[in-house]
Amino acid sequence: MKSKLSILAIVAVLASAIYTNTASAQIYRPMYFNIDWQFNAIVGDDYADTPTGWGMNFEGGYYVTPKLAIGLYASFHTADKHIGEQLLELSPSSHLFTDQIHSVFQIPFGALLKYRFVEDSMFEPYATLKLGTMYTSTSSTTQVLDFYDEQWGFNVQPEVGVTIYPSAHKRFGIHIAAYYNYATNQSQVLSYNINGINNVGFHLGFSF
Amino acid sequence: MKKAIPILLLAVAFTACQKEPDPNELSSDLIVYTNYDKSANFGKYTTYALPDSILVLDDKAKPTYFAADDPRTTSIIQAISSEMKTRGYERVMSNADADLGIQVSYVKDTNTIISYASTNPYWWYGYDYYWPGSYWNPYWYGWGPSYAYPITYTYTIGSLIVEIVALEDANATTKKIPVIWTAYMAGIQSSNQFNINRTVSGIYQAFEQSPYILSSVQR
Repeated sequence: MKSKLSILAIVAVLASAIYTNTASAQIYRPMYFNIDWQFNAIVGDDYADTPTGWGMNFEGGYYVTPKLAIGLYASFHTADKHIGEQLLELSPSSHLFTDQIHSVFQIPFGALLKYRFVEDSMFEPYATLKLGTMYTSTSSTTQVLDFYDEQWGFNVQPEVGVTIYPSAHKRFGIHIAAYYNYATNQSQVLSYNINGINNVGFHLGFSF
Repeated sequence: MKKAIPILLLAVAFTACQKEPDPNELSSDLIVYTNYDKSANFGKYTTYALPDSILVLDDKAKPTYFAADDPRTTSIIQAISSEMKTRGYERVMSNADADLGIQVSYVKDTNTIISYASTNPYWWYGYDYYWPGSYWNPYWYGWGPSYAYPITYTYTIGSLIVEIVALEDANATTKKIPVIWTAYMAGIQSSNQFNINRTVSGIYQAFEQSPYILSSVQR
């Protein structure tokens, strides 16, 4: 019986120690930063809808309350898609026969509001709403000519994810998130028109 | 102002992160662009004149040509003649008897001969530099071209330009000859050498995407 009480006491002391360390880290480190690899796919428009991992995400925030943080975000991503030979009607009188590489390069950035559902835990699930602006460069590349259109638009990006802290003593974690991203950017390249950009994707990276 | 510098540097750094397209992914080396005057009545013409040499556009002051017996010339002339015949036009050897004239130019090593006149899309600055070297100028001395449609590209090294002018509709008052069709083919070189097969393919493609070039004889 004594041994069982001793084990319980040790567990209680360890649990208390872990809790204290985690809590103290949280108290004295109200800021956080995420650096992620970004995998993204444009949806709802087939101009360059090939999913690619040519992107990164950066964000940082400050917890104004134990669960609510405000911060800034920025990311970039390139989507490429090869289009085989085809005849494009550029105007009622002009036509272009070519194959192309379609490309959409996106840089959304702005402010964010983050709410974590659990604090001081190994797993911290959260939801974030990002609002800002987005720069896009939409292009069509052929063997001899490039056609570009650069645009700015309004950006909104809801995101859900989880930050995993393997060690209770260190504020260094793994970050996983899924997001939807919409921007009002409108582009026109050759005979293609893009009216707003919808993205879905995920982030995988580090949090500290 | 100083606070904006890090933001600008960050923006530049992000822009540099764009992945550039890989040209090796492109399966075709050829691009073909055509445009025409929508008011032109291609059906009313029945004859055309086609010189037996190809104008070469380069940085030399005096025009140079691919000679009539040059394999590049014979292949190009044969492809164009074949297409025009199929569409009901008869080739004549006298310019005075021709309703239409066809000019073929190869852009060898210059890309600055023509630029877009944004204030008036119907005219090209610098085109007169190109036009005096054409076949139609000695016959129509002092005359120049007129376009009824805008073209929004700059001619590129290693490209072929084929134009149909309506000699029959030349304006004696303005001294302008209407250009009623333009075909521009780029990517006709391989390893910096003129590729005949690719050029001929481009000519056939240009006519294929221009079904309106059809004499009333064939309608």
